[in-house]
Amino acid sequence: MLSFIGRSIIQKIITLFFVSVVSFLIIHLAPGKPSQVDPLNPKFTPEMVERFRKEFHLDKPLYIQYIYFYRDLLTGKTVSWKDNQSVLKKIWERFLNSLPLFIVGTILTWTLSFPIGIRSAIFRGGLYDRSSTFFSYLLISIPGFFFAYILIIFVVTRFHVPVIGMETFGLGASSWTHMVMDRIWHLLLPSVLGATGGIAILSRYVRSQMLEVESQDYVRTARAKGVPEEQVLYKHALRNALLPFVTMFGLILPGLIGGSVIIESIFSWPGMGRMAYEAILARDYPIILTVNFISAVLVLAGTFVSDVLYMVVDPRIRL
Amino acid sequence: MTIRKILIFTPILVIFFLLQSYFWVPTYEQQSRGNPNRLNEYITASIGDASILNPILSADSASSNINSMVFEGLIDRDEELRFRGRLARYWDIHEEAFFYVNEKANIPGVGKAGAKKVVELLKRAKAGDLPANDEVRASLANIEEIFIIPAREFLVTRHEKKTETDQEDTEVKIKVMAPNRINLVLSSVDQDLFQNLSLILGKDYFSSFNGENYLGVDQELGQKKRAEYAKEILPSTEHNPIVVFKLRPNVKFHDGHIFDANDVKFTFEAIMNPKNLSPRVADYEPVKEVQAVDPLTVRIVYKRLYSPALGTWSMGILPEHLLNDETLRDEANRVGKDPEKFSIRQSSFNRHPIGCGPFVFREWKSDQYITLNGFDDYWEGPPNYKRYIYRIIPDLLTQEMEFYAGTIDSYGVQPHQVQRLQNDPKYQGFSGLSLGYTYIGYNMRREPFDDHRVRMALSMAIDVDKIIKYVLHGQGERITGPFVKQTDYYNHGIKPVPYDPEGALKLLEEAGWKRNKEGWLERDGKRLQFTLITNSGNDLRKAILTIAQGAWKQIGIDVRTDLLEWAVFIQERVDKADFDALILGWLMGIEPDLYQIWHSSQTNPYQLNFVGFRNPQADDLIIKIRREYNYGRQVAYSHQLHEIIAREKPYTFLYVTKWTAVLDKKIVIKETDSKGNVVYKKIKPTKTGIYTFHFNKWIKLPEVPSFAPEG
Repeated sequence: MLSFIGRSIIQKIITLFFVSVVSFLIIHLAPGKPSQVDPLNPKFTPEMVERFRKEFHLDKPLYIQYIYFYRDLLTGKTVSWKDNQSVLKKIWERFLNSLPLFIVGTILTWTLSFPIGIRSAIFRGGLYDRSSTFFSYLLISIPGFFFAYILIIFVVTRFHVPVIGMETFGLGASSWTHMVMDRIWHLLLPSVLGATGGIAILSRYVRSQMLEVESQDYVRTARAKGVPEEQVLYKHALRNALLPFVTMFGLILPGLIGGSVIIESIFSWPGMGRMAYEAILARDYPIILTVNFISAVLVLAGTFVSDVLYMVVDPRIRL
Repeated sequence: MTIRKILIFTPILVIFFLLQSYFWVPTYEQQSRGNPNRLNEYITASIGDASILNPILSADSASSNINSMVFEGLIDRDEELRFRGRLARYWDIHEEAFFYVNEKANIPGVGKAGAKKVVELLKRAKAGDLPANDEVRASLANIEEIFIIPAREFLVTRHEKKTETDQEDTEVKIKVMAPNRINLVLSSVDQDLFQNLSLILGKDYFSSFNGENYLGVDQELGQKKRAEYAKEILPSTEHNPIVVFKLRPNVKFHDGHIFDANDVKFTFEAIMNPKNLSPRVADYEPVKEVQAVDPLTVRIVYKRLYSPALGTWSMGILPEHLLNDETLRDEANRVGKDPEKFSIRQSSFNRHPIGCGPFVFREWKSDQYITLNGFDDYWEGPPNYKRYIYRIIPDLLTQEMEFYAGTIDSYGVQPHQVQRLQNDPKYQGFSGLSLGYTYIGYNMRREPFDDHRVRMALSMAIDVDKIIKYVLHGQGERITGPFVKQTDYYNHGIKPVPYDPEGALKLLEEAGWKRNKEGWLERDGKRLQFTLITNSGNDLRKAILTIAQGAWKQIGIDVRTDLLEWAVFIQERVDKADFDALILGWLMGIEPDLYQIWHSSQTNPYQLNFVGFRNPQADDLIIKIRREYNYGRQVAYSHQLHEIIAREKPYTFLYVTKWTAVLDKKIVIKETDSKGNVVYKKIKPTKTGIYTFHFNKWIKLPEVPSFAPEG
């Protein structure tokens, strides 16, 4: 166990190094330039472009830029080119904004998918199963932004209440319950939209897992010895069907930093995804690279966590 | 079974909890009725976030919007787009002109003359002792004082790269033995002064002055370099326009500090300081010096005649006491940065700006909102709104939805929505012309566009009115020339080219292009053929591309089209003038300075006159316009220039778009009349279409007001 942890940490550090090199290269080799040094930007004269290049170390060879960048990042001194703000501070702020969306979205996904999927599995081939299959595929294939617009237009024109942003603007000094409920209302639409895709996929997954487990010998045995049907399903079948989802739980972690570019932009939610997206448009290298680096760390940490979790829940597995 | 119950009831509970929050959220009506504070707030939205809240550093529109609320300039433009005083109460423009005494030149009737004799001669001419025409007399009458600046010697050092490949600069020491110089103080700026004086002093008096004779250089320099130095250090004549601003007394910054002349001087120096990397350096390059004469007087001396420079003083003024070297050094030490490298650009001021504008900065949440509070000590009286909120909503459709929900007070309408929203009883709509125009430009260096008749015919073959009607949904107006349509500079006497394909064919026939059997236009067996290009990603231009192609094909021109990615389009085609015809747009300033786009000296690669328009008459007018300080004369020159460009048709001028904004109808103008009664008025746009002009007097009412029809 300990040796596994040690080995995997070393492996992950090596992977991380390669990720950092590759992402750095991709961004610097991609077409387009930071808006401050873009020769097409009429606001900046050639001399200023030159000075910005110097200030951003863009006049140095790539490997020196790489060293400068990661030195700054690891000492927490990286600043955004756009507004000279500390990158880590910016990311932390955005992370706190994305967090509630992520939490509510995850709760909705995981609480809804299981009952839907299990029911489909129990009544497989029936009307309920077929219609849930139909809606799942519908939700998977409809683009999120389209769905978002329809929902927004419907809610605003029908109920005349604001839905954009994190809170109602100009609410003024109301009681704190109003404020909290207002915030929850604003969370509702974006997190439902963020969850729809997840629910559709996860409920399918639950269904197939349940079906697979149900055909196992021990389920048949349980039925044969006269255990009540409910107990067979929820105790014998469900528990074993849950195993693969434990690994999935570890993989949610990177979603924390990724946020959702489209949903956050449409709802003007000041989250991580939107910040990263805007940084890419402005070629704000420090932000792009830092977000990239942190998500790489989270992906690796996520796989590590799911490996360990798997060992914990499934005593058959030894690494 | 508990597991089953948990699985079913948890999601139901979660969803129920989320949905019930709906009952706590105020609807559109409740927002203005149930919450009196909401009426004191103005909420507006923008697609992009601000980047830096400092008027000398910002370069994007969101930052500029906020800066214009927080900071105030010396002047701005009034309802008629003329300048009006803000932090400056009034200003005065005069000139000091200089010329070196040319002792080698023969003055008619006098011969070779020294400084004293020249002065005497000018004084005699001024008194009317010499024959002169009216123009010369006017120039002379304008002279207030004449001084001699005695000859002097001084040393100039320059850093020069000996060869292109040299890494190190060599120091060049230049000993200057400046001859006597004459200083003329003029009561108003006179761009024709030296031209008129040369009628008295002799035609070559100024042009034959050779500064090289007075330079001693310690190193070998090429002839060209020497001449360059001579022209720079000892120019034969020099115009120094001078603007004196009288500042408003007792104007306060938001922190209570009193504004004075040093703040103006400091703002200028901050812009010019290379450490700050200000994008506005070019605007202030013609300034020679800014002097704070006394706390309420600023004297600005310019290096040369350049009238558009006055408009740059609408720039917001920075508080010197918060950004001077000392405070910056303290800040650098506090945050642990190198004080040598620390500039205004790094200062936290840019996120917590302090100016003397009508609104005080309060809070900035990146990508969410910026809030400002009304400034109670604003010199013109506090604004009616207590708070101004600038939300960042990157998506246009959601902006619209927020407007319907009542959480934004204004919305910039899309052309196809104008019809619907302008007639909505809940809203009031405003509409006006924007500052830019769209055109088709022809590369005049190439055949067949070197022929004026062809360019005219191409313009006649396009039905611009239909483009405006169907592509722009009626939200545009025709334009005939390069000036901003709502200014006086625009010559309304010029009629747009009528749609006349028959006439176009006739003109082309005159130019030698005849239809062949297949219907294509031909000359000497060669088809009339060219490629029309534009950038991809702009749907309007793409539509025009197709329409123009179709219209020209109908009269037998073989037009190919191409859409190019923006960077390729600009770098490979426009900058290198490698195109036949293109569709592009210009965003114009109000100033009538057309030098960069239309002057013949700007036709080289990477310059903006990429169509290669050359016209000596137009060149002359362009120079005259940028040197003229008298508004009436400037307008007259502009009308002439407009006529020439409209006649020559280097572009087919298409249209200028209209913007439309809708406001909640509950927003009105609130004024207090002389008796102290509160009067409410409807918001009316100014003649030039600016509806936010009286923004500081706006307020929102709880109910839609009804106004008696005005008689």
